[in-house]
Amino acid sequence: MTGTFVEVPVPSVAGAVTAPATRRSGWSTLRRIAPPYLYLAPAVVLLVVWTYQPLAQTFYLSFHSWNLVPTSPMREVGFANYVRLLTTSELGGSVLRTLAVIGGMLPFTVLIPVIVGLLTRRVRGRAAAVYRGLVFAPMLVAPVAGAAVWQWLLDPTAGVVNRLLGTELNWINTTGTAQLVIIVITGWHVVGFAVLVVSAGLTGINPDYAAAAEVDGASGGQITRWVTLPLLSPTLAFLVLMTVLLSAQWTFPLIDTLTQGARLVPPPTSTTCCGSTGSAATTPGSPRRPGSSSSWVSSCSPRCWRVWRIG
Amino acid sequence: MTTERSAHDALIGARSPAQRVLGHLVLGLLSLFCVFPIYWLYATSLRAPEDVYQLSVLPWPLSTANYADALSKIDLAGMLLNTGIVAVLSALGQLLIALLAAYAFAAWSFPFQRLLYLMFVGTWLVPFQATMLPNYVLLARLGLLETLAGVIIPTMCSALGVLLLREHLKGFPKELLDAARMDGRSSWGSLWTVVVPALRPVLAALGILLAITAWNEYFWPAMVLQRSNAVVQLGLRSFLGTEGNDWGPLMATAGLTCLPVFALYLVLQRHIVNAFVRSGLK
Repeated sequence: MTGTFVEVPVPSVAGAVTAPATRRSGWSTLRRIAPPYLYLAPAVVLLVVWTYQPLAQTFYLSFHSWNLVPTSPMREVGFANYVRLLTTSELGGSVLRTLAVIGGMLPFTVLIPVIVGLLTRRVRGRAAAVYRGLVFAPMLVAPVAGAAVWQWLLDPTAGVVNRLLGTELNWINTTGTAQLVIIVITGWHVVGFAVLVVSAGLTGINPDYAAAAEVDGASGGQITRWVTLPLLSPTLAFLVLMTVLLSAQWTFPLIDTLTQGARLVPPPTSTTCCGSTGSAATTPGSPRRPGSSSSWVSSCSPRCWRVWRIG
Repeated sequence: MTTERSAHDALIGARSPAQRVLGHLVLGLLSLFCVFPIYWLYATSLRAPEDVYQLSVLPWPLSTANYADALSKIDLAGMLLNTGIVAVLSALGQLLIALLAAYAFAAWSFPFQRLLYLMFVGTWLVPFQATMLPNYVLLARLGLLETLAGVIIPTMCSALGVLLLREHLKGFPKELLDAARMDGRSSWGSLWTVVVPALRPVLAALGILLAITAWNEYFWPAMVLQRSNAVVQLGLRSFLGTEGNDWGPLMATAGLTCLPVFALYLVLQRHIVNAFVRSGLK
């Protein structure tokens, strides 16, 4: 690890550290080229071992029927798993539910943060910082702890929500409210982060534009609509993208703990299978990702589908 | 016109008291929605066991019976220690590996640089569920199931860390690296004597973020540690049951699970907020 900053092979990138070329022997060439690769090696090796190789393996497994038990035979089945997945009657519903969750999350990740971002500029100073801190707090709560406290709040008989409303609704296990509950809890979790992102975006906007608009006679509302929001659009696009990409991942631990917290020690296969088939069902447009073989799907599907069927 | 910011704020209106009241009202309600569950978590945990179902806003008389109950039922101290080990080692490992990789990207240009960079960016598009099955099998082959090492090792390469540190190193003055080189320092030496001290705030922020994420992680530990409740998130799970929960001890455990993160947040508030904003994700 004693490589020096030496001449770059392609001396084009601005700011690259350069040094006079020296001897051209094989050893010095190696010493010249090797350092960046050596620094990158640990990260790249880990990436290949734990992300890209498994991804390839997942695709490979998806064309086979195998239950992952080393002693059992592995059969090549072509596209049978995909056919099976796509013809499952549950698929359409779960894709729709995923879209509903994404749609339901957008108010929390875009609408409320923008409103809060604009309003915090009205209250200003310490109060604004306090509000932001309070809104951010749920982000720090572990998902399982969040699930636990919401389960307590929504308890059918003793929960605060039911007692305040005078109802006895079983929010989490009732079709109709279950999905709403998942959306609200996930929204509660991420809204603080979205607020922070929007405030950062608003801080980055040059006030000169608003000043110019006011000189031209624009009202406060007009400035917000035609100056601030368009300038904020990259931030908003980022938040929308994040919501679409991560909604399924955000909700998963929540759904898992809220609906099957009862299970004591899950057999190894059920968890993994739930993950794979679950993600298959909830990643719209890419049902190929999880390569769960068909025998897996059939062997433990009732539990998996139950997880995703709620709501 | 005091500062640019307040000038802008003035322009977007809202100097009238009515609008300010509206602002406080909306923000107050939202804050209440966000904070109430957390408050209720601790309020319930501090009630006496027979008062758990009370609706009074202030828990009185205060009692630590729920905590004692939780501690007697599960090895909470051991779990907190294990989770702490996982969080610290995971954060440190990710920091070190990401620092080396980001340094390579920033200080040299070399063939396949773009391709390698895209490899890191590409991990955003790989959902966890797509890789966990083979990862689980690989861990089993390595004999790391049911061990903390099995939880930590697969998380060691943080694409987020690499991208974030690279962004910061891009703005790093190359003159400093040149000067270090002329002083006869190796690249390894300049990394630790020139780059790291300059990056300290970013490294701190990223480290806190990674540690909190590792602390709160649920799904991967749940897979690796099927048969044990070695980390608190899993211990919490053992209190959750459909046929009537033991709410008092459950809330006490949940409260203890979140406590270190809250404490860290209160002490290092600014760093953490920066870390979350800069990270751009999660």
